[in-house]
Amino acid sequence: MEGAQILSTEDLSIIVGSILVGTLSRILILKEDYRQYPSYPNGYLIHMITGFVAAALGAVALPALFSKNFVAVTFLTLALQQFRDVRKMEKESLSDLEHTEYTYRGAAYIDGIAKTFESRNYIAFITSFLASITMMVLPYAIWIKLIGGFLVGFAALFLLKNFTKGKSIGDIAQVEEGTIEVKDSNLYVNGIFISNILGTENAEKLFQEEGMAVIITPNENHYRINLDNFGQRQAALFEATRALGNKRYAFTRKDYEKGRVVITLIPIKRDLDALIEAVKKCPLLESAKKSHAVLKTNLKGD
Amino acid sequence: MGRESSLRPEYQILAYVTLAKERVISSNCLCLLAKSEDEAKILTADVAKAMKADVTKLTNGDYVIIRV
Repeated sequence: MEGAQILSTEDLSIIVGSILVGTLSRILILKEDYRQYPSYPNGYLIHMITGFVAAALGAVALPALFSKNFVAVTFLTLALQQFRDVRKMEKESLSDLEHTEYTYRGAAYIDGIAKTFESRNYIAFITSFLASITMMVLPYAIWIKLIGGFLVGFAALFLLKNFTKGKSIGDIAQVEEGTIEVKDSNLYVNGIFISNILGTENAEKLFQEEGMAVIITPNENHYRINLDNFGQRQAALFEATRALGNKRYAFTRKDYEKGRVVITLIPIKRDLDALIEAVKKCPLLESAKKSHAVLKTNLKGD
Repeated sequence: MGRESSLRPEYQILAYVTLAKERVISSNCLCLLAKSEDEAKILTADVAKAMKADVTKLTNGDYVIIRV
């Protein structure tokens, strides 16, 4: 490839193979899960295309350097810029939707989703980059190079997927059904005061007949740091209302004594298992995550 | 009241419905004096429906119509 203006078939195969690995990686982690995001089909297409661009940047970086085209390093800054744009795009798009949803996602959850989308583009970039390195380094026939590149690319995908996989509320807490009680227009769930805006008989009756509630109890006391976080509770409430719909009223409240968190609402679809599942699967936000271990730091040095 | 958990909820008192004349003082919200408990309930429900608002019943029996 020394200064050649036209790519050889082998180089072209390496680039195309690497782009394929990177794009496939992006598609494989582009799941439409219970959070129904990204939206199908246009959201899918957008992220597939940005994944393809990320994979292309990863695939051509090394062949460009091998051809002594050192300006190609600027590709990396271009990649960074592109990924940042993906994050910005997601953030803007979700922020614009805030006033149309049943409840707010909240800034912390939006930030988490946007970061996830950015990091998934890095995954596409890294897998195609590693695949391209492998294909270039292996001293065998082109089809063995391609197989090697695919294997390394997908191994990298597996590792990165596990590395970036976050925890959810269900990993750190128990989620159980709560008992709703309305006393003198005050709403209580398992004895925890929630709200006093059920001032009319209609509101009281509606909540007593159709209200649903879950109690989140942290497994360890220090998990309260995560669960008490405002953004985290808002994210759980958002997931609950999106899974079941929201006819009227949706509250989240924390209990200061035992660290329990209440999610209660009047859903459109009454399905307790779905409510518990939605809350359990709500991701723990990176911005709410705090290291418990830091509290044990030995500052004295003995 | 799905906006309860927004970062800075903006509560707005739209109306105050009471049975006691001495509690009607000047304010920037509508104050309604009801003749009976039933009338207070009906007034509150009507205003809340029209304004798409929520209602809080105070322990003294008065109603506050609020919007979040």
